[in-house]
Amino acid sequence: MRQASFIRCSLQVAAILAFAAVAGLAGGSVVQAQQKSVKVGITLPLTGADAEDALHIKNGAVMAIDEANAKGGVGGYKLDVVVYDSGTATAGQYDPAQAATNTKKLAADPAVVGNIGPQMSGEGKAMTPILSEANLATITPSSTNPDITNPYMAAQFKPKGKAIYFRTVTTDAFQGPNMANFVKDKLKVTSVYVLDDSGAYGVGIADSFQRQAEKIGIKVLGRDQLNPKEADYTTILTKVKAAKPDLLYYGGVGQAGVKLAKQAYDIIPNMLKAGGDGIQGTSFLKGVGFPAVEGWYSTNASPHVTQTPEAADWVKRYKAKFGANAAYDDYTITSYNAALVLIDAIKRTAEAGKPVDRHNVRDAIQATKMKTLQGDISFDENGDMIDKVVSVFQYKLDKSKPTDDLDAQNRYIGVAPATPSS
Amino acid sequence: MSFQDLLLQQIINGVSLGAMYALLALGFTMVYGIIELINFAHFNVFMVGSFVAMWIMGAMGIVGQSEVLYGLPLVGVLLVTLIATMLITGLLGVLIERVALRPLRGVAGTAPMITTIGLSYILFNVILLAVGADSKNYTNPLPRTHWEIGEAVLRLRELLLWGISIGLMVVLHYFVRGTKMGKAMQATAQDPEAARMMGVDVDRVVAMAFFLGSALAGAAGMIFGLYYNFTSFIIGYTAGLRAFTAAVLGGIGNIPGAMLGGILIGLIESLGGHFIAVRWTDVIIFSILVLVLVFRPTGLLGRAAPTKS
Repeated sequence: MRQASFIRCSLQVAAILAFAAVAGLAGGSVVQAQQKSVKVGITLPLTGADAEDALHIKNGAVMAIDEANAKGGVGGYKLDVVVYDSGTATAGQYDPAQAATNTKKLAADPAVVGNIGPQMSGEGKAMTPILSEANLATITPSSTNPDITNPYMAAQFKPKGKAIYFRTVTTDAFQGPNMANFVKDKLKVTSVYVLDDSGAYGVGIADSFQRQAEKIGIKVLGRDQLNPKEADYTTILTKVKAAKPDLLYYGGVGQAGVKLAKQAYDIIPNMLKAGGDGIQGTSFLKGVGFPAVEGWYSTNASPHVTQTPEAADWVKRYKAKFGANAAYDDYTITSYNAALVLIDAIKRTAEAGKPVDRHNVRDAIQATKMKTLQGDISFDENGDMIDKVVSVFQYKLDKSKPTDDLDAQNRYIGVAPATPSS
Repeated sequence: MSFQDLLLQQIINGVSLGAMYALLALGFTMVYGIIELINFAHFNVFMVGSFVAMWIMGAMGIVGQSEVLYGLPLVGVLLVTLIATMLITGLLGVLIERVALRPLRGVAGTAPMITTIGLSYILFNVILLAVGADSKNYTNPLPRTHWEIGEAVLRLRELLLWGISIGLMVVLHYFVRGTKMGKAMQATAQDPEAARMMGVDVDRVVAMAFFLGSALAGAAGMIFGLYYNFTSFIIGYTAGLRAFTAAVLGGIGNIPGAMLGGILIGLIESLGGHFIAVRWTDVIIFSILVLVLVFRPTGLLGRAAPTKS
């Protein structure tokens, strides 16, 4: 009797744990097809603080691939999408270890000829050695840390020598410094306090901003690092308040950024605040919300496209596919374009009569010359975009539009200058 | 900002953090005091509490931060939310104990503790699936009232946080010292077997400890949301770990110790972050923990465990 009840209770516990295991499962899903086909990977942090922006990036790539398949495939091949989630619940955002695991799975499948992603440079740093080993190219629509494609760091990030990390955005070698020029020229900033979120991207962009700021005569009053899992930033913000800089610059992504912005609104409401593309997008806008998000400047490492007349037709197709209320941003378009680059490379490989495998597709990506919504796309020998535009935005409430409408609530200000005017 | 004002501001920040850690630490300490179990599910009962409070305010028609209440309606909303949240998370604690821990009572070794880790992940994943992974903008009807002391700022929400924490701790103190149930809890903590022989219903006492601990975690979750204006499925881990550290620092099993430990950890976090660097916060906190445990293994206010015959 006692034993029976003990077993019953144990079974209850086992059932609950089994449920949790199923609930926590994250992994690849494969879209099947009959025709002759190759696989294309998409690896993004679809779980965590930046999940919503990652979803927009995924939508962009999926849209381009679906459109190509609807036209009968690419050079006789149907493209199958394999999606991997590189965010984990325990990290609460992108998880480099998960990104590496996913990349190993992609590399192990010979049918995979290319990949779209990652969203974050922290993932990219973990992925590139594996990609290089497998000679499998990835095209990132949003990762901007310059180390990954820096020829001086090739031993670490591309040990086999060939470029395998291509981008449809420029890097923080431009995003940080150009923003420093912008705040000096346009906002007349003379002193700054710099924070980062301890991630690969955050530290990199904060460093590059800080270096340029010092070079052009902006005084750096302090530099500190946030733990993204921490809830409380009142201590550091009190320090910032006491230092009285003109501007607070934050290098990092949403997990720390959202909390920082909320608490900054309480402690330093009147200070100028700026960040990079890590705080650009719907995740940040919705997570922080008005009034706390009001006034924050952000940048994108790409031209601003979504509101141009050329993009109107793209927006129409996007909404037809994902719903009238589906959100998107400029990195949805860079992701769409990244997929176009990959599709174009597969097509050229097939048309040249070469076997469509990852080696030939990589070589074809390297030779890309395309005209897209964001302008001309071509890559240097490291995989970086030739075109280098950094756009500046500011969150500003437009009461006539929904508060989560990014184009309405995050005004485009202009291109950040590559050199300061004075 | 003058040095005194800056110091005062960091103390205000630290005490606010500490009050929250203290509320959470009480849950660890009570359960440990009675059945010598470290309840890791507590981390995420706190997290669930912050969501429950947000949903309750939502059910009362308050959403987002644009709607600000004053006076009696504000007090009413906060009181209703607080009581309802504490009841719900308290019952969640009782459910956890009844379904997953009572069957394991008497099982030697780490099995019950591992079970609480499993339960913690269940709560974590259920909330993740239910609400998604992004940070939620918290409902907040509090006005932005604040007072300036020199250049330091004391905000209404800080006073509220302190008030709720101190109030709950005082109530808990008198409950444990003064009521029959409280005395039964003390008796069970000293010797469950003897208490049972004296007619104490040990199952009820344990359920009560879970109820009270989880209710306090729910209250902490609610004030977390009101204080920081956000919540997310991931908030349980860092706060829970710090609170657990606070309980150990104060002397695990000891109620005033948990309060002292909480406030100390909060102050160490803000002053350490200020004078050294915020990135070293965890290193500072856990170094102090190690030092305390080396030189005072029972914690600051803990006594050596009573010998059990």
